[in-house]
Amino acid sequence: MTRFEEYFYKHLHLLRRISQWAAVALIFLIPFLNRHGYHELMGTFYSIRIGHLDLMDPALMFQTILLTKHIPFSALLAGTLPLILALVLGKVFCSWVCPYNLLAEYVAKLRKLVFPQKKYFLNHNPKPQWYWIVFGLVVTTLMVLGIPLITLTSFPGLISSEAADLVLNGTIGIEILLVLIVILLEFFVAPHFWCKYACPVGATLALFRYKHTMRVHFDPKGCTCDSVKSLPCNVICPLGLDPRHDGIYPYCYNCGECIYSCHQHHGKSLSFSFKAAPKKAAVSNGMNIKMNRPIKEVNA
Amino acid sequence: MILEFLQKLANYHAPLRPPGAIPEDEFLNQCIRCRKCEEACPYDSIVMAHGDRGLKVGTPFIYARREPCYLCMKCTEVCPTGALQLLKREEKRKVRMGTAKINQTTCLAYNGIICRACYERCPIYREAITLQNEIYPVVHQEHCVGCGICENVCPNEPASIIVYSSHG
Repeated sequence: MTRFEEYFYKHLHLLRRISQWAAVALIFLIPFLNRHGYHELMGTFYSIRIGHLDLMDPALMFQTILLTKHIPFSALLAGTLPLILALVLGKVFCSWVCPYNLLAEYVAKLRKLVFPQKKYFLNHNPKPQWYWIVFGLVVTTLMVLGIPLITLTSFPGLISSEAADLVLNGTIGIEILLVLIVILLEFFVAPHFWCKYACPVGATLALFRYKHTMRVHFDPKGCTCDSVKSLPCNVICPLGLDPRHDGIYPYCYNCGECIYSCHQHHGKSLSFSFKAAPKKAAVSNGMNIKMNRPIKEVNA
Repeated sequence: MILEFLQKLANYHAPLRPPGAIPEDEFLNQCIRCRKCEEACPYDSIVMAHGDRGLKVGTPFIYARREPCYLCMKCTEVCPTGALQLLKREEKRKVRMGTAKINQTTCLAYNGIICRACYERCPIYREAITLQNEIYPVVHQEHCVGCGICENVCPNEPASIIVYSSHG
């Protein structure tokens, strides 16, 4: 492990929070600057314009193609650039930028404070089919009804749009209720379910993943928490995944919290990796005994 | 209060779309609600629709009586999807946001008071609105771009000249 990597993993949580809060500051700052005549930065998380370069939510690019069957070249370019980022680094937009995810993470923390006695079962990695079924339903509804459904369910866009509305006109639209309803559901019923299963923006980014896309790599050799009942990497994962096992993708959004917590506990078994995941047989070899031991409950 | 509300309802007409907007059903699919047109507008004319407009939520509107369009075309330059087609400032005659109609029963000029407010402020000067007998303003629909300036400057309340959106 290089020194840079060690430094990065050590401060990963802080860096991520800085990035997230900078994004929150930006959605208020952009309309403020626009109102005062500065137009080099424009837009919301639906689509942002830096100088003359447009960046666009790829989910919206596909929505436009599906609904109108044609798209201007500039929009195609605008939507492809974020996809290239997703192809290299995975769904980092969700974990490092998206303001809704930041909100949902704090809501999940609050939930743990308010209901501390609630038992959390050991994290598990759901089958990827569920993810694609939900996304497929969204796309089908969009096609059948011919309405821009992704625009209405893209929470980063919706939140930044309402923030811009607040700054520009001093009003907030009733559509923000959609976010509030989901937040309440997450608080009382299922923490972080929107980001994990439902968000069409994340699903579009997750489509663009190949074997060399950045992933969380687990090396069983360095895992020192075997005897601990609550595994730090499992407890900290905002999406309730288990990074020690295969199949965290397409759910995992590469926030790196599991890596951070692993390194905090002097482990070295988790890291980001661009290398292709080893074949299943190789992973299970000599590791299954250790990893598949049932640990029933974890106090979160 | 109820009477006022009913009056408002009876006088309701759809707000205008910004210049260069493609036909409404295509517009709703093509517009991604990114707000760049609103942020680009130097006159604060463009306002985004809220949830009370149903599926039109987040799309740009111009309420002429509040602030009309001055045809600077800045919004068409920043639209990323082509929902607002790119137009140059010199091409303002191509714009078709709507057409103005004069209500002759309330218009001051038709009721014996000299008023040239709409005629003088029309950006398609002496073409879209002309004065008949140098007194009565007449709208020529083939030239009217529907910017809403006439509706904005009309001294009557409610305005005697109203721009009806070509976007339904």
